[in-house]
Amino acid sequence: MDTAVNTVPNPAAPESPATAPPGGGTASAVPAPRDGHPRRPAGGAPRRRNARENLAGYLFMSPWITGFLLLTAGPMAVSLYFAFTDYNLFDAPRWIGLDNFTEMFGDPRWRTSVEVTGWYVVLGTPLKLAAALGVAVLLNQSRRGQGFYRAAFYAPSLIGASVSIAIVWRALFSDNAPVDRAQQLIGLDPGGWIGDPDKIIYALVALTVWQFGAPMVIFLAGLKQVPRELYEAAQMDGAGPWRRFWNITLPMISPVLFFNVLLETIHSFQIFGSAYIIGSQGNACGPADGTLVYTCYLYVQGFENSRMGLASAMAWMLLLAVGLVTAVLFWSQRRWVHYEEGGR
Amino acid sequence: MRTHGTVDRRSLLKITGGSVAALGLTAAGCGGGSDSGGDGTVTIRYTWWGSDDRAKRINQSIALFEKKFPKIKVKTDFQPYADFWKKFNTQASGGNTPDVFQNAIGFLRKYDAKNVLLDLREQVEAGNLRLEGFRAGLEKFGEVDGKLVGVPVGSNSMALVIDEAVFAKAKVTPKPGWTWDEYHDALAKIRETAGRAGDAGPYGIMYLYDLYLRQQGKAFFTASGLGFTEADLTDWWNKAAGRVESGVYADPKKTIQAKPKSAVTAELAGCEFTWDNFTVRYTSEGKSRYGLAPIPTTDGKRTGQYLGSLMLSASKRTKHPKEVAQFIDFMVHDPEVGKIMGYDRGVPATEAQNAAYVPTDEVGKQIAAYEKQLVESRVLEQITPHPAGADVCEAAFLRLSEEMSLGTRTVADAVKQYFTEAKTALSA
Repeated sequence: MDTAVNTVPNPAAPESPATAPPGGGTASAVPAPRDGHPRRPAGGAPRRRNARENLAGYLFMSPWITGFLLLTAGPMAVSLYFAFTDYNLFDAPRWIGLDNFTEMFGDPRWRTSVEVTGWYVVLGTPLKLAAALGVAVLLNQSRRGQGFYRAAFYAPSLIGASVSIAIVWRALFSDNAPVDRAQQLIGLDPGGWIGDPDKIIYALVALTVWQFGAPMVIFLAGLKQVPRELYEAAQMDGAGPWRRFWNITLPMISPVLFFNVLLETIHSFQIFGSAYIIGSQGNACGPADGTLVYTCYLYVQGFENSRMGLASAMAWMLLLAVGLVTAVLFWSQRRWVHYEEGGR
Repeated sequence: MRTHGTVDRRSLLKITGGSVAALGLTAAGCGGGSDSGGDGTVTIRYTWWGSDDRAKRINQSIALFEKKFPKIKVKTDFQPYADFWKKFNTQASGGNTPDVFQNAIGFLRKYDAKNVLLDLREQVEAGNLRLEGFRAGLEKFGEVDGKLVGVPVGSNSMALVIDEAVFAKAKVTPKPGWTWDEYHDALAKIRETAGRAGDAGPYGIMYLYDLYLRQQGKAFFTASGLGFTEADLTDWWNKAAGRVESGVYADPKKTIQAKPKSAVTAELAGCEFTWDNFTVRYTSEGKSRYGLAPIPTTDGKRTGQYLGSLMLSASKRTKHPKEVAQFIDFMVHDPEVGKIMGYDRGVPATEAQNAAYVPTDEVGKQIAAYEKQLVESRVLEQITPHPAGADVCEAAFLRLSEEMSLGTRTVADAVKQYFTEAKTALSA
C-alpha cells in the first residue's frame, strides 16, 4: 500500500505530515543501507557484513522501536484487553466478554455520536478538499505576490487546531457576533449557531474548511507536475478552461486527490479539540449533544464516567470503522485514480 | 498508506490505553513527591478547584502556615471544577492522590468506596485536629458511615440571586416563605415590565430540584439511589417546558451562548438559583445591583434547605497523616486564615474564623445576612452524603434538561433516558 503514495508524482508528498511518521520508515529503513552501497566488494563475508549492517540499522531505529512498543503497541494491546472488561480505573478489570459492545450498540447517545461524526466527515471533508483544490488552481498561475498568497492561505491550517482559535470560533458564531450580524444584514435572524444544537455542527465544519491550507499545498505541488503540453494541445483542439480542468487536470492529479481524500477523511474522524471546546458550556460537547463527536463521547465515558473498559471498546470500534473506510477508499481507487507510470 | 491511518490513530488511542501506561509511569516517578527531606522537613501536596482569586488567598494562608510550622512545606495545584475531578480521578486511580484536597458532598461516598479517603477520626483523637467550634453542626457534614472523611471549610446554601432593579420595576418583593406560585407570578410580571425572561431556568439544577423534593418529604438521592419517581420528574420538566415556551424562563439558546456569563448579568433573565457564595461574581460581571432572595416553598414554611459546604479531605495513602491533620486544623480554625479567605468558599465553618472576618462590602454583608436568617428561622435540614455516582447523575440531569428545554427531546424521552443513565451511574 505504501507504493501507492510513493508513485505519486509529487515532490511535496514526502514532506507532508502523513509520510513523516516513522510508520512508513520501517519498511524502507532496513533495505536502504543495502541499496545505498551497491559498490561494496562482494567478496569477503557479505553475510556477516549484512548482519552487521542490519544490526546498525536496527540500532538506529531502536529509539523509535522502543517508543513504538512502549507508547503505542503496548497501550493498544492493553486497551484491546480493556475493551472486553469492566474497568473503572480503581478496581481490577473484570472480564465481561462482549458486554461493552452490546451496551455501546444499544446506547442512543453512542448512535448520536456516530451520526454527528458521520455528518461532520461527509460534509467537512469534501468541502475542505473542494476549497483546497479551487484555491490551488487559482494559485497555480504565475502572478506577482503568489508566494504571499500561498503563505496566507496556508496559515490557518497551522493555527486552526489550537484552543485559542476554537474559542475565537465560539465567539464568532454566538448571538450578535459577526456571523449572526451578517445573517441579520441579509434579513435573516436565526440567532447564533452556538446555542442551536442543529446548527453548531456547521460552525465545526466551517472551522475545518477554513483550514484547507494543508491539502491545498499538496494539490499545488500536484498541479505543478501536470505537463504544459497537454494543456497546449487541448487548447489547440478548442477545449475551454472547464473542459481542460475536467479532462486533463483532474485525471492527472487524481493520485494527489486520492492521497488528500484519504488523509482528510481519516483526519476528520479524529476531530476532538475543537468540538470539545466550541461545544463546551458546562456540558461537554455541545447543546443537546450537537457536537458530540465520537472521540468526545469516548472521552466522556472514559474520564467523566470512569468507564475505561467501555471507552476502550469505543476506541477499537473507531479504529475498525476508520480501517474499513480506508479499505473502501483503496478499493475504489482502481476506478478513478490514474497513475501515469505503471498504469495500474 | 494504511500505516499512516494507524499511526495517526495513535494520538487517540493514547487517550485510553496510553494514558493508563503513562499514569503507571508518572505514578512510579512522582510517588515520592511527598517524601520527607533530610532535615525532617515534610512536604505535603494540596490541590483544590477554583479561580485565580481563590489561589491567591490560599497561597497567602499557606505562607502563614509554613511560618508557623517551618518543618512542613505545602505544594499546591488547582484547576477549574470539572478539570479538577478528571485529574483527581486519574491521580487517585494511579495511587498518586494529593495528601490534602478540596472535596464536596457529591464525592464523599464515591471516593470512600474506592478507599481513597483517610478517616481523620484517629487524628482528632490524637489531638492534631480539633472538631470543636464549628457552626450549626457543620462538623457532622463530612461523615460517611461514622468515618470522618471531610472537614468543612465554609457553609453555603442555595439562594435566588435577583437583579434588584428588575424586581423593583416589577414591584415584586420576595419574602421568606413565599410559594412557587408567587414566584412564578413574579416571573410573569418581570417578563411584562422588564422585557426579559423571569428566571434563567431552574429545571436543570440538581440541587434546586433536591430542595423542591425535600419540601415534599422526598430528596434527590437516598443513600444508595434516586429518591424520586419518573412521574415526579415528568411533572417538573413538563411544567418547565411550558414555561420555556411562554418565555417565563429564558430561551436556552440564548443562555447557552451567554456562558460563561450568567443569564442574569447578561440581562436575559431577572433571577436565577445558585449557591449564595457565588454572588460575588454577579456584581463584578453585571451592571445592575444584585441581591439574595429566599427559596420559594410549597407549604409556606419549608424550603428544604441545608447548609452545604466545601471540605478538606486527606488521602488514605498519605505518609504524613499527622502533618496533614495539623494543616487542615490550621486552615479551618486559624482566625488569620479566616480573614484572608473571606466568603470565598462560603461563610467560614468555625466560630473563630467567622468572628475574625467581618464583611465590609455589600455582597459579603448580604451573604452573612442570608445565612444568618437561614440559621435563625430554623428551616435548615440535615443532609446525608450522596451515593457514589452522584456526580455523573448531576451532569446527566443538566444535559438532559437542556435537551428537553431546547426541544430536541420530548419530556417523556428525557425522563426515560435520565433514569436509564442514573441507574448505570449509581450501580457502577
